[in-house]
Amino acid sequence: MARPRRPRGLSVLPVAAGVAAVVLLALLPRLVDSPYALHLMVTFFLAVIMGSAWNLIGGYGGQYSVGHAAYFGIGAYTVLILLNTGGLAPWWGLGPALLLAMVVAAVVGSITFRLRGPYFVLASIAVAEIMRLAALNWKDLTNGAEGILLSSVPPLEIAGRVVTRFDSKVPYYYTGLGLAVLVVLVTVWFQGSKVGYYLQAIREDQDAANSLGIPLTLYKNVALVLSAFFTACAGALYGLYVGFIDPQTAVGLDVSVQIVLTAIIGGIGTILGPVVGAALLVALSEGLRSNVLTDLLVAVGIVNPDSAVGGFLRDNLSHAHMLIYGVLVALTILFMPDGVLGGVKNQLRRRRARASAGGAA
Amino acid sequence: MSSAPGAILEMRSVSKFFGGLAANSDVSFSMTQGMILGLIGPNGAGKTTLFNCITGYYPPSRGEIRFKGERMNGLTPDQVCKRGMVRTWQKVRPLAKLSVLDNVVVGALVRTGSVPAAREIAREQLEVVKLGHKAAFLAGGLPIGERKKLEVARVLATKPDLLLLDEVMGGLNPAESEDIIQLILDIKKRGLTQMVIEHDMKAIMRISDRIVVLNSGEKLAEGAPQEVVSNPEVVTAYLGEAHV
Amino acid sequence: MTVFLQSLLSGILVGGAYALIGVGLTIIFGVMRIINFAHGDLVMLGMYAAYFLFTLGHVDPFVSVVFVFPLLFLFGALLQKTVINRVLDALPQNQILLTIGIGLIISNTMMLLFTSDYRIISTSYSSGSFRVGEISVSTPLLLSFVITAAVTAVLYWFLMKTDTGQAIRATAQDRDAAQLMGVNVKRMSVLATGIGAGLAAVAGALISPTYYIFPQVGQPFTLKAFVIVVLGGMGSVLGATVGGVLIGATESLAGAYVSSGLKDLVVYVLFLLILLFKPAGLFGKSRA
Repeated sequence: MARPRRPRGLSVLPVAAGVAAVVLLALLPRLVDSPYALHLMVTFFLAVIMGSAWNLIGGYGGQYSVGHAAYFGIGAYTVLILLNTGGLAPWWGLGPALLLAMVVAAVVGSITFRLRGPYFVLASIAVAEIMRLAALNWKDLTNGAEGILLSSVPPLEIAGRVVTRFDSKVPYYYTGLGLAVLVVLVTVWFQGSKVGYYLQAIREDQDAANSLGIPLTLYKNVALVLSAFFTACAGALYGLYVGFIDPQTAVGLDVSVQIVLTAIIGGIGTILGPVVGAALLVALSEGLRSNVLTDLLVAVGIVNPDSAVGGFLRDNLSHAHMLIYGVLVALTILFMPDGVLGGVKNQLRRRRARASAGGAA
Repeated sequence: MSSAPGAILEMRSVSKFFGGLAANSDVSFSMTQGMILGLIGPNGAGKTTLFNCITGYYPPSRGEIRFKGERMNGLTPDQVCKRGMVRTWQKVRPLAKLSVLDNVVVGALVRTGSVPAAREIAREQLEVVKLGHKAAFLAGGLPIGERKKLEVARVLATKPDLLLLDEVMGGLNPAESEDIIQLILDIKKRGLTQMVIEHDMKAIMRISDRIVVLNSGEKLAEGAPQEVVSNPEVVTAYLGEAHV
Repeated sequence: MTVFLQSLLSGILVGGAYALIGVGLTIIFGVMRIINFAHGDLVMLGMYAAYFLFTLGHVDPFVSVVFVFPLLFLFGALLQKTVINRVLDALPQNQILLTIGIGLIISNTMMLLFTSDYRIISTSYSSGSFRVGEISVSTPLLLSFVITAAVTAVLYWFLMKTDTGQAIRATAQDRDAAQLMGVNVKRMSVLATGIGAGLAAVAGALISPTYYIFPQVGQPFTLKAFVIVVLGGMGSVLGATVGGVLIGATESLAGAYVSSGLKDLVVYVLFLLILLFKPAGLFGKSRA
């Protein structure tokens, strides 16, 4: 029952579509004058960056880290601390943040990558929890549970001229867009590179990969360090954009779970999977928060707004984020382990196989 | 137990213990370049354990393994592969979600950092095993005979000097086995050295220059195929399993 | 010295409940090879069950154990039959993700239903204690330890002396062999999950007089349960028992000598060290 696969490499249509999409997105702030829309897009870009970054080590490498909040938190905290207490502009502060994230990733990887499957998952969770507790208790540095409130972001000046001020959502939009495009391009490069091949071999069969000359921990670390780099970028952008971080929102388990969910819902080990996942999750989040879902249920007639259920939903569904995430994780694992994109691909493949079988008969 | 000069592989009193069990016990033999050594013995004799020790899956408990004159004890499998020794698996291990071509590319990448160059090597090796027409297929969907060929192509792509084949004919029909035998003989013509574990005695007799017989972890006999096969101890060890 | 003995003792007493939580987790792992990341939330459910039985039914938390066990046993069994059974052959990483999802569903549903408000159970002896020489012994902790010991004894009897218990152990040791011997491994999986959930909930009920009760309280218990089980050896009931007491003691001593804010951190660092140097644990077999 072998089925032919499309050859590797990019064909014209997807590339053209991608470029068109990016151009449209770049023009969006000029066409649409809604801070809310911009906010949604920034949230979307952040999710794309975080999901795609995880995808490198989790999707392609098969190493499911459920502790990526550690790198997100390092990005957020380092940049904000250096800005608030050191007066260091975030574009300079990003350097130490990324360096720290990469060093921590390399250390964590060297220690935990010898563990197989579920043990690695547990270790990654323990590492993130250790970071969170450190942030919670090192009050002199991080303000502990009170968190850090961003003072203000200085304007970006090049050669004495102000390029942009950070008083609207627009510069965050473009930063987010730029990073998101970058991480997707990196994924494209990654998939066809020696590192990408080796990671996938490790994912498919670690011992076979080892016997073919692949040093396991080295390559896993390369992927993890790259992944931590971009996750920390997302953390820094988040901290600057939202203006407030604390150990729970920046390093909590919920963050790690959301990162994993973004990647697996869309389809792990694919280039666009995290993008699809990000779109779905952000849409769902906003749908919940703005009561759109509840209104939808009412409009369709499933729920009576005056009933007990209706009132309950109206009051509470907007807070049901993590509950819905939990349901989504469960549903995805049970019915769609290859994610939305994977499921679509499988359906297409089945239809093609049926067609060719029918044609041959 | 003298070391043979110019030997490509030397096994010197290799033993492997698991707890109290001696899976390999004081096994010694050597191989010269270009030869095919058949490694036979009843089930549980320690053949795959020996392969695992040689390729670094775990180190031998005692004794020494020398490859091209260099001591190999304690090297990791990837280091062993880089030095020119590679193995196939008794239970095939395709990289299931990758294409047939990509499986072989992974093997080729140990010798080159360039993916396009690796693809070229991969295509060549697929032609050698006659799987070129399936290059775009998912490895996980192949039937068992083609999976075995794929595994051979994959290890050939690592440009090895010594190839260890673990029951590469296991589970194949006669036509498929014949393909593999031809493949092994072709590989020999290219100058590669091979150690072959096999239960199919006819095949072993055809291809081997020398045969080593293991039984209960120990080397029972060694010599030219005809000598070994007529050795009464060997026949006894195989009682009920002889295909000769 | 008093400080040392004091914290050691409270640690051991709490360790009793930890042992139950760990034993529950290890039984589930032993029989199904699934790492149940919702385990701490089962503890939380036990705490809430005890709370409601106390406030609505005036049932003493230690007595409520009798009701809590069957209740959560059924819940665990149901969970296994409907959901967990479907992923027995999936990748271990996917299994963990599924149980993470289940845990999120449980804790967030409780949050929706009962809000995040802290609840407390105040019984007449909640803050009671008595002195043995220089050391003060907390009454509720001592009671919970005694009940834990009793429950553990019953559990050991069940696993060693009854047919069903032995069938469970056989399944944990070698699923295929047990099936060949006629054991209904599917039923064993359901039973194991039920027992595991029941034990976790009993532990929750036992410690409910000494903890704030809120929906997210389960999370640290999950991680600690893993530390306990890994320390004791995955699948080893004896190991989880010993591990629970050891972790309880370690945590308590860390709280006394390092800081109460960092005692969890000490436990997690210990976890990483165990995973690195002795992943098979004290009593486990070496399998990755």
